Amino acid sequence: MRGLLFWAIPLVGLGVVPLVTSSYAVVFLLLLFVNLTLAESYGIVGGYLGYVNLGHASSFGLGAYAAGILVRGGLPFPVALGGAVVVPVLFWGAISYPFLRLRGAYFSVATFGLLTLLELLANNLSRLTGGSEGLSFPPGYRLVPAYYLTLGLAAASVGLSLSVARSRLGLALRSIREDEEAASAFGVRLFACKVRALLLSAAPAGAAGAVFAWYQAYITPGAVFGLEIALMPIAMAMLGGSGPVGPVVGALFLTVLEEVLWTRLAYFHLTVFGLFLALVGLAMPGGLTGLRWSRRILARLPGLGVAAGRGVVGG
Amino acid sequence: MLSTAAQLLVGGVLQGSIYALGAFGLSLIFGVLHVLNIAHGDFLMLGGLVASLAFARAGLPPFLTLFLVGPGFLLVGIVFHRLLIRPIADRPRQEFLIASILITLGASLAVEDITAFSVGGSVRGMAYTLPPIRVGTVMVSSLRLVNLGVVLLLTLLLGVVLRRTYAGRALRALMQSRDGARLCGIDVGRLSALAFGLGVALAATGGVLYVTLFPITPFIGIPLTLKYLCLIVMGGVGNLPGTLASGCILGVTEALVGFYLGAEWSLTVAFFLLVVILLWRPTGLFARGVA
Repeated sequence: MRGLLFWAIPLVGLGVVPLVTSSYAVVFLLLLFVNLTLAESYGIVGGYLGYVNLGHASSFGLGAYAAGILVRGGLPFPVALGGAVVVPVLFWGAISYPFLRLRGAYFSVATFGLLTLLELLANNLSRLTGGSEGLSFPPGYRLVPAYYLTLGLAAASVGLSLSVARSRLGLALRSIREDEEAASAFGVRLFACKVRALLLSAAPAGAAGAVFAWYQAYITPGAVFGLEIALMPIAMAMLGGSGPVGPVVGALFLTVLEEVLWTRLAYFHLTVFGLFLALVGLAMPGGLTGLRWSRRILARLPGLGVAAGRGVVGG
Repeated sequence: MLSTAAQLLVGGVLQGSIYALGAFGLSLIFGVLHVLNIAHGDFLMLGGLVASLAFARAGLPPFLTLFLVGPGFLLVGIVFHRLLIRPIADRPRQEFLIASILITLGASLAVEDITAFSVGGSVRGMAYTLPPIRVGTVMVSSLRLVNLGVVLLLTLLLGVVLRRTYAGRALRALMQSRDGARLCGIDVGRLSALAFGLGVALAATGGVLYVTLFPITPFIGIPLTLKYLCLIVMGGVGNLPGTLASGCILGVTEALVGFYLGAEWSLTVAFFLLVVILLWRPTGLFARGVA
């Protein structure tokens, strides 16, 4: 209970932001929440299960296009939002069988390829998707409702990640990450657990795609399936470290870094960004939350339950 | 009709064998070091860039540049390994995979950004031609023939090195079992550096050949890496003939699909092939038992 109250304070604080600040801050936070939702949902497969799903953004793109197509078909946005959750979940359900035959780096490769395929399909199936010219929504100014929706999604995905971490499923996923054969020998049903993790991580990403598309009112294949949306959330989750808190830290850090680089540096922001990623890979094996001093801070925060030990934070 | 098909076949085999060269480099790196090198395609791009600049500025023909690019990038690869991969080599498997993705992804972004800044982001090709040869009704570009010859020669050379020399045998041993190889007294650190250097050199050499036939931009790296990775999954890690055959299959299918369905579809081919093969033979098309 104390934990819930503690976390309600920043949530309420974020809730009043659109009432008191400029739209710049609101847009900045909205994008942060979208990235955070993606990073958190990626973490369920990438962090707990340890399968580096480089194609996680395909859920985002599928959600965006599903919502766009449904709204253009005359359905109200809430229905389209539902569709944007269902489509990626069905999609991952359908492809889970061939893809889960792969492990380690092979899985990463195949899912990365999947993303490229979807981008090409979105470009080529122009009757359905508008092709490279993109798909536009009915125009409208939706910044504030989209802000609250993404805030809700980000909070929900943190909650989802936390509850997975504490559940039997989370335990099973982490045991698979450490050693698949051993987990299987102890009676963990590998395929069932992995599919569940994939589906749980697809749903919030799809919803985030729909809200993002609705807010932008215009999407192109490159914007929703492109490299940036594919790699940023993963970099955030990896930077932050495994667990529900890691992606939050990573998302905050990278979004601010990117913003500073774009506004301060005329050239080479990608270079600096890339070098920074490489540096994190070289110097911080457990991500930012894996560092000793950040563990100590996290241990003091209420409401994360076992977060203090290796349980949730360290993986 | 027949000659069109023959043209497509020749073009496809050629492009595929160039893919295979780079893909085998990546497979060497992956097999020996277990690094998923996302920056691999960028080394092809850099090799191509060097060749195209050498030709434009100094008039150096690409088949001479090969002799510079090969050893040069071997060194680049060894330095890359020493600075960026060696420091993380002793981490546990899962941490290592994540760290290697972050590092090579970061390197790839930096390389593409710096390249685009220093030479411009535009498309770059090479106006280098050799007189064509006519065989029956089929026109064969002799540039392509020479290219094919060079690829085959390099593959053969590589095969001999891997089978006959101590270093080559040690590399194959490392791909089979790292611990076993270490127990036999193989210097894992040095051979890892060699594998990385060799892999990078193969990609860059492929790039020199690539740029004589197709245009390049600083941003082709990651899509190319993806194709390479598909080929590795298809051909099997460290399987040279398998990779070459997969490369040809990919190249020919791309050429056929591009011609009959339209160029916009040819890129989807690699991936469809990959999924079909995963469903059909999850250990790869040419895998020999070991998964």
